[in-house]
Amino acid sequence: MSAIELHGLSFAYPDGPRSLGPVDLGVHAGEILLVVGTSGSGKSTLLRTINGLVPHATGGKLSGDVITFGRNVRAHKPRELADVVGFVHQDPEAQFVVDQVEADVAFVLENLAMTPEAMRRRVEEVLDALGIAHLRDRNPATLSGGERQRCAIAGALASAPSALVLDEPTSQLDPQGAEDVLAAVARLNADLGTTVVMSEHRLERAAPLADRAIEMSGGLVSEGPSSPGALLAEYPGAPSVTRLGRVLGWSPPPLTVREARRRAAETRMLDVLPDAGALASEARAAPGEPLLTGRGLAVRYGNTVALRDADVQIERGDVVALLGRNGSGKSTLLRVIARLLEPTRGTVAGRARAAYVPQDPNSLLFANTVREEIGKTLSLLGRRDPAAVATWIHRLHLEHVADRHPRSLSGGERQRVAIAAVAVGGADVLLLDEPTRGMDAASRHALEQAVADHARAGGAVVLATHDVELAARVATRAIVLGDGEIVASGNAREVLSGSLFAPQTLRVLPPYLTVEEVQQAMEHVG
Amino acid sequence: MRRALPASRPWHSVAWLLWALAGAAVVQIAPSPVYVAIVIAMAWLVVEVHAPGGPYRRAFPILLTVGVLFSVVRVTLAVLTTHNGIDVITTIPHVTVPRLMGGFTLGGTIESSVLLQALAQGFTIVGMMAVFGAFNAVASHYELLQSSPRAFHELGLITTVALAFVPATIESAGAVREADRARTGGKVVRRGRVLRTVVPVLERGMERAMGLAESMDSRGFGHQPATRNEAVAGWLGLAGLLALGGAFLALIGRSTAPAAALGVCGGAAIACAAWIATRGHDRTRHRHRRMTGADWLMAAVACSAPVMIGIVSLAGNDTLAWLASPVTWPKVDPVVMLMTAPLLAPLLRTPARDTAPSPVIDLREPEPEPELAVP
Repeated sequence: MSAIELHGLSFAYPDGPRSLGPVDLGVHAGEILLVVGTSGSGKSTLLRTINGLVPHATGGKLSGDVITFGRNVRAHKPRELADVVGFVHQDPEAQFVVDQVEADVAFVLENLAMTPEAMRRRVEEVLDALGIAHLRDRNPATLSGGERQRCAIAGALASAPSALVLDEPTSQLDPQGAEDVLAAVARLNADLGTTVVMSEHRLERAAPLADRAIEMSGGLVSEGPSSPGALLAEYPGAPSVTRLGRVLGWSPPPLTVREARRRAAETRMLDVLPDAGALASEARAAPGEPLLTGRGLAVRYGNTVALRDADVQIERGDVVALLGRNGSGKSTLLRVIARLLEPTRGTVAGRARAAYVPQDPNSLLFANTVREEIGKTLSLLGRRDPAAVATWIHRLHLEHVADRHPRSLSGGERQRVAIAAVAVGGADVLLLDEPTRGMDAASRHALEQAVADHARAGGAVVLATHDVELAARVATRAIVLGDGEIVASGNAREVLSGSLFAPQTLRVLPPYLTVEEVQQAMEHVG
Repeated sequence: MRRALPASRPWHSVAWLLWALAGAAVVQIAPSPVYVAIVIAMAWLVVEVHAPGGPYRRAFPILLTVGVLFSVVRVTLAVLTTHNGIDVITTIPHVTVPRLMGGFTLGGTIESSVLLQALAQGFTIVGMMAVFGAFNAVASHYELLQSSPRAFHELGLITTVALAFVPATIESAGAVREADRARTGGKVVRRGRVLRTVVPVLERGMERAMGLAESMDSRGFGHQPATRNEAVAGWLGLAGLLALGGAFLALIGRSTAPAAALGVCGGAAIACAAWIATRGHDRTRHRHRRMTGADWLMAAVACSAPVMIGIVSLAGNDTLAWLASPVTWPKVDPVVMLMTAPLLAPLLRTPARDTAPSPVIDLREPEPEPELAVP
């Protein structure tokens, strides 16, 4: 018998069509099950049925049964399943009830009326298990994203649930934060035998942890359950090494860089591929006319130096990737270039107009439909140009949602609407702050194309991102920031090659940066 | 992991509440602008020393600003509607509203004594807001909640969660305004800006609230069904509230005896309801921190300020309040000034500084740890 059983499960939101099912699935005790799929494929709905948030918190019509450790969620509300299922949302900020980490971890135990002695011991154990004992007195609002998500997991885990359900737990985090969170999840599974059901878009780190994986599509389990390697072999959002393995005919394709390196060595792949010397020195874009030039830019917030002595030049045709950890000054530099933030020292020269898309697209969206939202920017600028609106809807692949309310869309779709709403204004320089946060592969692909098109049309794009794979695919130049200083700047290939920021393909088959480059080389070889 | 020593632990939230009440009482007993300014300065100093990092630190400047805005409205209304005919600065056009709406005159003579008196009274509002702003910046709301009777836990928790939305909403409004400017490449378009700000702020707040509600539900909030005791307490509490409402109406009608009777009955009913609900409540508390001797001492020292000033007031000290007519400088009594000093009692000890690493990860190589010296 499985720990979690879904029998003929289907669900429709109130007044909506069926969004899930029928699904039959069993999750074994102690396994890590990975749920993949595009935005809107029903992953979150499926996960939320496991602790009864669907249908108890959402309303709607549920048919079939979900049996979680012997309890049918039809008859048990989420609060009655709190002792067997811990649930973690993708947004760590929305989960804290109490403004102190330790008290928040104890929240579920107080609700379950555990004795103070047992509670004290449990809280200590959970703080240690997640490595957050040093954060116990902190206010969650003052923590980094990764720390916050680990604290949220601790809050879900305090009741020692038999299962942990995580809905895209790393989508809002930088690579280090994601690494920390997934390492904690793996440790819990290995040490405590906690059953884990987890959905993810960023599979580089999550896929190697999973025992089994399923793919959701249109509310149905379209593939699996099967081993993650087999399932991801054909999946469009697979990690770069998996796609590389697919291109090179490795079966089953690898999930980790280590595995891919071993396969590359076994097949002597670097000897097979054409000499890549020319590729390494090739400049991907000729220098264009300077659009904006920042000299000696420095920003202080109180006693904190956010940016110091940064020189940056943005030229026509440029796609510049700004890389660096959380708090390294990427957003500050973008906001200075956008002239939203006055630098403490230094100037930004140039007549080109720069428009900035913030990290959180929800700051921008207020209209009733996607089309209206995009058109609103033009009307604010005193123009009316339905053709431009249509162009950006097309460029960012938003045709199918053009008449929907922006708030009803997935995170990745909202992000694309925000980018279209800013880009339609016709600014030469587009400044995108973490544009791929929470995006699925299709959304990322649409964004990459739109960025390349804008640069080709004579504009320039600056992307602040943690996603080195994105940088490798679209950037012509890269700037690495550390502690508010520019620590590396230059041609994207050179910057990405010589650092810890190297994309997966480069780590397997240097100097090839992307799977697409390897594919072209293979075609050349014939 | 080594915990902070008790000596450097923050003051208990109940001690902070008593400190804030003492500060507010001083402002009420000694509303002269000089003494109010001293209390505001003390509140600011306490915030600087004791407020931990986090969004609540901003409660002090925010509540201070709210106090100033209230005062400006109050001064404007007072100056436009109060007319004694003396110390006239200037005269502006006036209009007398119909008798049905009060029959007062709006505009007319603007008098310096009225203006100064209104300013002084407005300043006391700023003083009160400064004290409560400081309280919100330094105290842990959750600890205060943990110290309240268990019957009030759910209500208190909801209030605490609602309070947490205030700084989040202010932050959200800032982000939305910046996004609006960024959208047009820096061009500020004022037309329709309120709508473009309000809709995203409300929608973000709503989404956050939904997420929080789900998180609370997933973590067992309201896990235990209502007990019979709680049902009895609920009805008794309702009866108590109705009695208090009746007492208020009786007071308006100047029926003192029924008002007193209803007030006593209502108070007793609410106290009984709290007692019954607390008995039937099986929710436990994690590391409930109690007031220590030092906390009580700090609160007692702080409370001595209004007590001493109250005694001085009863003794007929004429510097505590300031009358602007005739226009004179406020009088100052050094003894009263000295009597406000106990409000600095929280500075008797300073909090342990947060030494946790910042979210920014240091790229530099860590220094090698020194080898242990072997004796």
